[in-house]
Amino acid sequence: MSITRRAFNRAALAGAGLAAAGPFAGGLIRPASAAERLLVVQWGAQWIEVSKQIAADFNKTNDTQIAWELHSGGSAAVIAKIKAVWPNTQYNVLSVWDPVFRTLIKEDWLVPIDESIVTNLATIPDQFIQKNDKGQKMTVPLSTAGAFWGYRDDLLPGGFDSIEDLLRPEFKGKLCVPYPINLTGLFIVSCAIQRGGDEKNAEPGWDFVKELASKGQIGEICTSNSEYINAMATGQYSVGFWNNGGWFATAKNFPVKLKNRMPDNKGFLYNEGFCVLKGCPEKAAFEFANFFAEPKMNELYNMNLGSGPTQPSAKTNPMLVDWYYKPDELAKYAYFADFAYLSSVMNEWNARWEREIVPLVRRG
Amino acid sequence: MLWPALVIMAPLLLGPLLALLHESLKPYVGGRIGGDDAGALTLANYAEIAAPEYVRYFLDTFRVGLISSGLALVLGFPMAHFIVRRASPPVRRLLIGGLVGTLFLSLIVRVYAISMTFGPLGPLSGFSRLLGIASNSPDGAELMVVLGLMNTTLPLVALTLIGTLQNINPRLEEAAMSLGAPRWKTFFLVTVMMCLPGILSAGITAYAFCISNLVVPMLVGRGFILFVSNLIYARFSEVANFPGGAALSIAMMVISVGLFYGLLHLVRSTWQEAGK
Repeated sequence: MSITRRAFNRAALAGAGLAAAGPFAGGLIRPASAAERLLVVQWGAQWIEVSKQIAADFNKTNDTQIAWELHSGGSAAVIAKIKAVWPNTQYNVLSVWDPVFRTLIKEDWLVPIDESIVTNLATIPDQFIQKNDKGQKMTVPLSTAGAFWGYRDDLLPGGFDSIEDLLRPEFKGKLCVPYPINLTGLFIVSCAIQRGGDEKNAEPGWDFVKELASKGQIGEICTSNSEYINAMATGQYSVGFWNNGGWFATAKNFPVKLKNRMPDNKGFLYNEGFCVLKGCPEKAAFEFANFFAEPKMNELYNMNLGSGPTQPSAKTNPMLVDWYYKPDELAKYAYFADFAYLSSVMNEWNARWEREIVPLVRRG
Repeated sequence: MLWPALVIMAPLLLGPLLALLHESLKPYVGGRIGGDDAGALTLANYAEIAAPEYVRYFLDTFRVGLISSGLALVLGFPMAHFIVRRASPPVRRLLIGGLVGTLFLSLIVRVYAISMTFGPLGPLSGFSRLLGIASNSPDGAELMVVLGLMNTTLPLVALTLIGTLQNINPRLEEAAMSLGAPRWKTFFLVTVMMCLPGILSAGITAYAFCISNLVVPMLVGRGFILFVSNLIYARFSEVANFPGGAALSIAMMVISVGLFYGLLHLVRSTWQEAGK
């Protein structure tokens, strides 16, 4: 039997047509409009869900078109994309966190926040706001977030007392941890703190991670929130170190306990929020950021993320009562890492992970 | 007339490659974005990846790529043979349409589907046990990567081989059988042998796709299986070490091109030897 070229093309076109029909039927083609357009980069999972919800409210009174792009992996990845085309970047507003804010400010890519438009910035505590060398406010902090150890209580009733316990045989393959460059190395810092070190004396942390890896305790190394949330949902892993967003999403479906008050370790706190890149329609971008910083929207945003609001009048999600620290607990349990230092050693830590840790986990 | 092609290819291919080569020679200081333009050119980025630990990543990439593309060929050839020689016209149309249609399916969807089906909690999780592999072990992660890559390259291989098989006159097979050759011998010594250039071409395409893949090991490798592409991505995207990423890219390209021409030379010399 033979196939004519025409028959082959017809069959191929039929397959291609079927595959292509879906998206067009879904209405990807929209009419053009003369309104301002903003391209906003946001994390996936619940970040994008709640952001779209708030943006829909924003568009009831403002005709600025909002297009979204998701961070691929950690939010630091967006830096390389911008660098490659700077100053012609297509991005306008970025949703990132403290270490990335510091890099963007250092590169002089951000516009100082116009407080005459972002009026809601006035009620956000000043210490949450990142500033440039001239003292100008460069960010609109939306969340107080953190990175903590925790576990699924249904899989590990009773949990663990110290992360030293995680070296025990029953935890083999049960740990889900971030790739070292995700969360800007906080996983390594946490392990260092456990053994008496810190970010500037990380050697004890590397030794601890090597012990975990060589004993086969690490079951998965995640590179994004979505990956972590999916991994913890499978039930294969009972213990993890991740940010509050990942834990919050897991806690919606499974009983989760955070180990953020261990006597020999610490929880990490930092801020997430918006910044505006140079060369964008600034007024539209500031109006957009201001809308998200309204106390009501700030409350809605953080209720869905499992983060602490930055507006003092916004209510915190009741699920998070024990997740964050009371003022008198901060000194004992909270750790504010030196992100400027961590950013400077990320390349070295990444190479070290590739050379020293991956071969160990690979052996199982 | 080669010059119109050269005019287009030079800026599109050669230009970026030269820029990459230049970037790979720049010094990198931690915390910076990209290489230091003011610094003297250096081979330090190449020296760093010459460490023995990195040989493992190159070997893993080439080994897993070879297994995946080999399996895609082993499964793709009978599939193509069935479509060309055995299937009725409606079935043939359906199968070709299906193969082309899968090319439009997002790679991420396909990889996650594999993971959900064959992963530790999937309905076919027993498949890995058949091979003596625990699905939640590092070898289980490698199996997921192999299945993900094979699933992605199989339609490409099958479609390429359909074209090859179509160009072989079926009467040659009938002639062999009428002269007493059993069906299996006809298949291997006539059909397969005459398809060898097409098989080689499909194999090289699949292999190139596999070893340059980023998404599959990233999604189902669980951080245990890292291809060289993953190391390059981490440098460019996460730590902004463009010179390190560029050095890895150039090294990978040189090794891959060397491997390709080595294989080509081997195949050609074997055929020439056989033809004497």
